[in-house]
Amino acid sequence: MIRTSGLSKTFGRFTAVDDVSLDVPPGEIHGFLGPNGAGKTTTIRMIAGLLQPSRGRVEIAGHDLAREPEEAKRALGFIPDRPFLYEKLTAAEFLRFHGGLFGLEGEPVETRARELLELFELTAWRDELVESFSHGMKQRLVMCAAFLHRPRAVVVDEPMVGLDPRGARLIKEVFRVQSRKGVAILMSTHTLEVAQEMCDRISIILGGRIIARGTVGELRALAGSEDAHLTPVFLKLTGGTAVQEIEL
Amino acid sequence: MSAAFPYLLLPIAWAARNRARRRERGDALRLALFGGIGVGVFAAIFGVVFWLTWQLLDYEELGDYLVRLGLSWLFLTFLSFVAFSAVVTSLSTFFLSEDLRLLLAAPVPAERLFHSRLARTIGQSAWMVVAFVLPVLLAVGLARCAPPSYYAVAALTVVPFVTIPTAAGAVVTLVLVNVFPARRARDLLMLMGLVFAVAIVMLLRFLRPERLLSVQSLPDVTAFFATLQSPVTPLLPSFWAGESLFAALVGGFDGLHLGALWTTALAFVVLARAAYGRLYLAGWSKAQEARSARFTRLRLLESAARRIPLRPATRALLVKDLKVFLRDTTQWSQLLLLLALALVYVYNFRVLDLDRLPYMSRVVKNAYAFVNLAMAAFVTSAVAVRFVFPAVSAEGASFWIVRTSPVGMRVFLWSKFWTGFVPILVLAEALTLVSTRLLGVSPFLQVLNGVAIAFMTLALVSLAAGMGAEHPRFSAENVTQVAGSYGGVAFMVIAVLYILVTVFGLLLWPASTYLWHEYHSLPLSPRRQTLMSLCFVGGAALSVFVFWRSMRRGVRALADLG
Repeated sequence: MIRTSGLSKTFGRFTAVDDVSLDVPPGEIHGFLGPNGAGKTTTIRMIAGLLQPSRGRVEIAGHDLAREPEEAKRALGFIPDRPFLYEKLTAAEFLRFHGGLFGLEGEPVETRARELLELFELTAWRDELVESFSHGMKQRLVMCAAFLHRPRAVVVDEPMVGLDPRGARLIKEVFRVQSRKGVAILMSTHTLEVAQEMCDRISIILGGRIIARGTVGELRALAGSEDAHLTPVFLKLTGGTAVQEIEL
Repeated sequence: MSAAFPYLLLPIAWAARNRARRRERGDALRLALFGGIGVGVFAAIFGVVFWLTWQLLDYEELGDYLVRLGLSWLFLTFLSFVAFSAVVTSLSTFFLSEDLRLLLAAPVPAERLFHSRLARTIGQSAWMVVAFVLPVLLAVGLARCAPPSYYAVAALTVVPFVTIPTAAGAVVTLVLVNVFPARRARDLLMLMGLVFAVAIVMLLRFLRPERLLSVQSLPDVTAFFATLQSPVTPLLPSFWAGESLFAALVGGFDGLHLGALWTTALAFVVLARAAYGRLYLAGWSKAQEARSARFTRLRLLESAARRIPLRPATRALLVKDLKVFLRDTTQWSQLLLLLALALVYVYNFRVLDLDRLPYMSRVVKNAYAFVNLAMAAFVTSAVAVRFVFPAVSAEGASFWIVRTSPVGMRVFLWSKFWTGFVPILVLAEALTLVSTRLLGVSPFLQVLNGVAIAFMTLALVSLAAGMGAEHPRFSAENVTQVAGSYGGVAFMVIAVLYILVTVFGLLLWPASTYLWHEYHSLPLSPRRQTLMSLCFVGGAALSVFVFWRSMRRGVRALADLG
């Protein structure tokens, strides 16, 4: 459902992403881990169509992002790490606008928006301007928008940033339900507990290249670690460079 | 934190230094254009004031009296300007600045924070006045061959003069923020300021000062000066500034008024400090509280948009752009100023008395019609650089929403184009048609101007949309910053060149040839007719070419982003 092959991105002489190939089939939650500056966000931005790859290709639901960008994007829901929204629109207006971008109008969108606002506990705020929302509320509104058009694939960059424990639990539940419905989810995160708890498979990126891929058990075997937690496995695989960022 | 308050101003100085060191594309062009305009304005002010002061030297006592009155009036105007500006600026410097959280959380004594913020407010609210006063005082001094002490007194006068209204403005803000939320107070003040500016512009124009130049209205001049005298009261700092400067100008020293300025300035700073101690923290915490999201629902807009046969994505973009625009006071309030300028523009043609020149009126009117066309096109480009050029950049950090949606950049940019084109076309046509009608030019020119401005609006709006997409500034804090960027300046340069080529290169010759032949009832040779038609078609073709190329380049630039 989400497939990248030989994806690379260079900025001048610096190679941020080097030959990354991923394959997330329908119904899989795929974790995308790596220390800061490893190339996670660059990869995610290329898959979402926000950045043009220097080499390689991205396919969403069988559509090549470069050749059929509109069809590919129609099948994709994107949740960025920082929820920048139109501050002067209300939550309901923003969802209506988002629906319009995906060619959806009228009562079906209104009904779907109401359902999602209810699900993400934003119903009381539907007619308030986004500028008065907290970070967590904005993040939940972005998630409403990402699921509004019933995407077949979802790309998420740091889903838990700024969410309270209740919000985080809700998001995990939503992702699980969506994956059971056959939605492919690619999730970049620094929260290793979340990755361990939710992901069917995990890819670890370091210095722009995928260095390991598999289930938590497979990664543990690859790292030669007996530890039940993912953190020591991750540190071992990434050379311990992430100690500081994790402990901060 | 033992350093004195100027330490807190260091980040501004460092940021300015870093900006100066960093080279950006178009820096030279921007510097040349804005520097040129700055030097031009400085020279013009200097020239006019020098000439006036020089002329007044012939009238001895009356001349002295008028210089003195002029100085008092100048400072009175600036007093109100700085006071108003200080109220708005203090809202930002004392309550809305991003760095305040950092400073308030740090162990910075209140005294130092207050003084650094007041100094910043003085700088921000008074720099324009100082920039204007500088050539005026220099010109007066040089024209009157003032002694060197005059320039020292000028510096000693300006400093306390700008401090008094700034400190007073800061006190007003401290009180205001305790009554209204900070952002709402700022919106309210900006709107009031704009209405005030609009009223002044219209009042000045409708008073028709040009009447004073006609011989019949000479008796009015005495009454005019009597009116001028009335608000110059000895209790205002503007009067003290005028008096101390005038004394220095004639070689004396007015210690009383200069002393009054300094003691009052210090007293106002002490007063503002006391108000700060009493009101600041309460006001600051009020400014942090969640703003009530009161706004206009604009339901009519949505139902109207539903009736337009558009694709859902285009409709969604249109409704979103209009709502965001109408809910942002800093955006739509500019329309008030635009409306006032349009009214003044049209009014100028109504009072234009060209029939005083019976033999020349026809020629002058027709020539005026072309100047008018160029002016209307220039107004169109100024409106386009303010409202259409920043349209893509206005998406800001939220642009990911459109870019990750299945909406092509072509649909996106065309939506921006139409949102700007329709209202600007109405404005440009209204300006051109009403003014040519008031001017009373031949129907041929009226039609020509109407058609030409439509083509030119098409070209200018697409040029603004396309170049705005080619040179976006997604991180800009406001639209003014976008309009003043390299792309905005380059747009204005290209727009002016295009206007000159179209109006004076392609339309002036065929139109005036036609009118000349019609006036003298002479037949037009087929060769001439062909050449004239070629010029008209050339004008239209140039506009269509600019339109096509700008939109194409804009779409390509957006598609290539990242």
